[in-house]
Amino acid sequence: MNKRILFVDDEKNVLNGLKRSLRSQQKDWDMSFVLGGQSALEMSYNMDFDAVVTDLRMPGIDGLHVVKELKKHHPEIICIILSGHSDEEMIMQSTGVAHQFLAKPCTTRDLINMLTRIFSLKDFLGNKKLQSLVAGMKTIPSMPETYNKILRQLASPNNSLKEIGDTIKQDPAMTAKILQIVNSAFLGLGRHISDTGEAVSLLGLGIVKSLVLSIGIFSQFDEKKVMDKAFSLEKVWQHSLKVADLARRIAVAENAEKEVVDNSFLAGMLHDIGIIILEEHFSEEYGRVRELAQTKGIPMYQAEYEMFGATHAAVGAYLLGLWALDDPLPSTNTRRFVGAAWMVFRH
Amino acid sequence: MDTLTRLTRRVEREQKARKEAEALLEKKSFELYQSNQELKSLAAELADKEERNRLLLESSSDGIYAIDREGLCSICNPAAAHMLGYESPEQVIGKNAHMLFHHSHQDGSKYPEEECVLQTGLEKEIKLNVLFWRVDGSPIDTECRAAPIKQNGEVVGSVVSFTDISERLETEMQLRQAQKLESIGQLAAGIAHEINTPTQFVNDNIHFLQEAFEDYHKLMSLYDQFLQASEETVQEDKKKEVNLLVEEIDLEYLQEEIPQAISQSIDGLKRIAKIVRAMKEFSHPGEHEKVLIDINNAIETTIDVSRNEWKYHAELETNFDSDLPQVPCLPGEFNQVILNLIVNASHAIADVVTNSGNMGKILISTQQDGDWVEITVSDTGGGVPEEIQGRIFDPFFTTKEVGKGTGQGLAITYSVVVDKHGGTIVLDSQQGVGTVFTVRLPIKVEQLEVQDNE
Repeated sequence: MNKRILFVDDEKNVLNGLKRSLRSQQKDWDMSFVLGGQSALEMSYNMDFDAVVTDLRMPGIDGLHVVKELKKHHPEIICIILSGHSDEEMIMQSTGVAHQFLAKPCTTRDLINMLTRIFSLKDFLGNKKLQSLVAGMKTIPSMPETYNKILRQLASPNNSLKEIGDTIKQDPAMTAKILQIVNSAFLGLGRHISDTGEAVSLLGLGIVKSLVLSIGIFSQFDEKKVMDKAFSLEKVWQHSLKVADLARRIAVAENAEKEVVDNSFLAGMLHDIGIIILEEHFSEEYGRVRELAQTKGIPMYQAEYEMFGATHAAVGAYLLGLWALDDPLPSTNTRRFVGAAWMVFRH
Repeated sequence: MDTLTRLTRRVEREQKARKEAEALLEKKSFELYQSNQELKSLAAELADKEERNRLLLESSSDGIYAIDREGLCSICNPAAAHMLGYESPEQVIGKNAHMLFHHSHQDGSKYPEEECVLQTGLEKEIKLNVLFWRVDGSPIDTECRAAPIKQNGEVVGSVVSFTDISERLETEMQLRQAQKLESIGQLAAGIAHEINTPTQFVNDNIHFLQEAFEDYHKLMSLYDQFLQASEETVQEDKKKEVNLLVEEIDLEYLQEEIPQAISQSIDGLKRIAKIVRAMKEFSHPGEHEKVLIDINNAIETTIDVSRNEWKYHAELETNFDSDLPQVPCLPGEFNQVILNLIVNASHAIADVVTNSGNMGKILISTQQDGDWVEITVSDTGGGVPEEIQGRIFDPFFTTKEVGKGTGQGLAITYSVVVDKHGGTIVLDSQQGVGTVFTVRLPIKVEQLEVQDNE
């Protein structure tokens, strides 16, 4: 089935331009182009959409309002902001509401690539319930100790960007979130940032502080909600950290470029993020996955597939795709290094 | 009577007379002594008084000098001499004050003595800002007070006191600059958006045209083959092929869209060029002199650069008097005034219409009123509460939350209109209805040469 995409802008010329330049996508995408937030909402009542690409500032009903309203009725919808504004405050508000922030002017190629990638990861995940869950996720839980540590560091009068960056680097959840934000086009970097330290210093202390303290981009894991007694967040994160560290060292030993080194570390760090998402929201089922694997003597991923129709890897991949964290140019080397590291520490 | 008796009497008389004379002498001496003493104390008192006057003159940090009716300097204190770059007052006293340190206008042109504004000080008390020249040829901005010196009801000269206000002017300039930077910073994000939006659709259209051209190219090569084939050999299948391609590339759509894509792209590029030009015209870097400007045009420019500030919650209408004469203005500062008023109007409306989806209205009109040009900026915002109307032009007065403005906007607007252009600005505001700011600027430049507040 074709993907349905809603494009919203307050300028007719922009809609015309998008329509023309996306002409070649017509065979795969059903696209609607509407002028202004009000018409967008009206259209969304009668039609389902897989994704919305909207301008941010519009007279009357603005892009944030459109996105929030659409999400209410279609939790699985993919929300992209396409805006010429780089107003810090507005982008902070859209963090956690929209999945990605694209800056105007953005090339047709970039727009098509991004949507295609997200769609394919979504289809790969399959399970509708999981699609909605992942699309609705604002934060990934961190270890309570790490979470409290970062709050303490941010509140301290003599905090340093480096210390804060180091804390975030030790936590996969925070790493993922901070990189999502920094790679959002609002910083206008035009390059992919995979290094947490660099991300924090690009954002600056003030923005990091308000993102964490007022927007709440980080959260802590609530152990009480976990029904799966065999699960330990700490263990998963420790494992991720070990794989990340080793993958990075392998990459360095192989004289890989800095980008590959950073990506290897990042990939190792995030490779189990799907488990955390499943444990946080489907703890009971995930407990049964373990039982299933044991009684049947099958690998975990197979048991996951039997339970959810998807593996934790697909869940993680979709989240990272939505958050623009998947490597846009997947490097075989990165995969090799992380794979090798993973083999050493596999569960 | 014998000789002896006569002699004795004479002696007695003379003795008496002598005594009397001595007594008189003593009395006179005493009187003399007394008056001498008085004179001495008077002299001491006088010296003391003079010393005090001298100390007063010498210690004053204000420059003080006096001129006689011929314009020659009769008194000059060290502060005056020092400020003017002289080592001692003696270098100034006795010389023509105007010729010595008031000889030229700011632009370096000659300032004839008979036109000297300080001459007025021979008739009445005045206060004004004057540019003096130091001995090394550098200028010094001063605030001057001059008053006539009267002796027996007759004016014998004039006393002038002055202070160096270069520092104050510098601070004021920096403050204006800071506010200008603040508003330009604020504008920058909006201007970026005004450029980014057309860039987006021009890009998209060109991408489309590129693809469309490729499709056309395919079709043209097919036509080419078609033409090359001789009449007899025109095959039906070639025809079919062309028809298929025409359908595949959706020729009808292309023929309809291509001209639009081109004209919309041209419009987009025009928009970008316009905003870039407006930005350049708005800032007027380095323009510190009054020049004749087209007020309507300048306002248009400011509307263009500030569009993103108001367009989401207000419509902006203009009602310009097309016969408006040109007005002598500092262009950068005048634009700043209009910008401040537009931004204020826009904020006032935004506060009222927030998230309601309604649009407010800003109306800017210009008209001539005798020797004045009148500019009004009205909004349909919430109005200024009566109790703060008297304070809105005060420096640092703001009702906006911290971080949303320095409170300098209207203060600087006032200072630019009133102090720099000799104009007026008044506020007419009604709560719940809106606010009208009326700026009046003199058309003739002479009116703003001297500020004379008696």
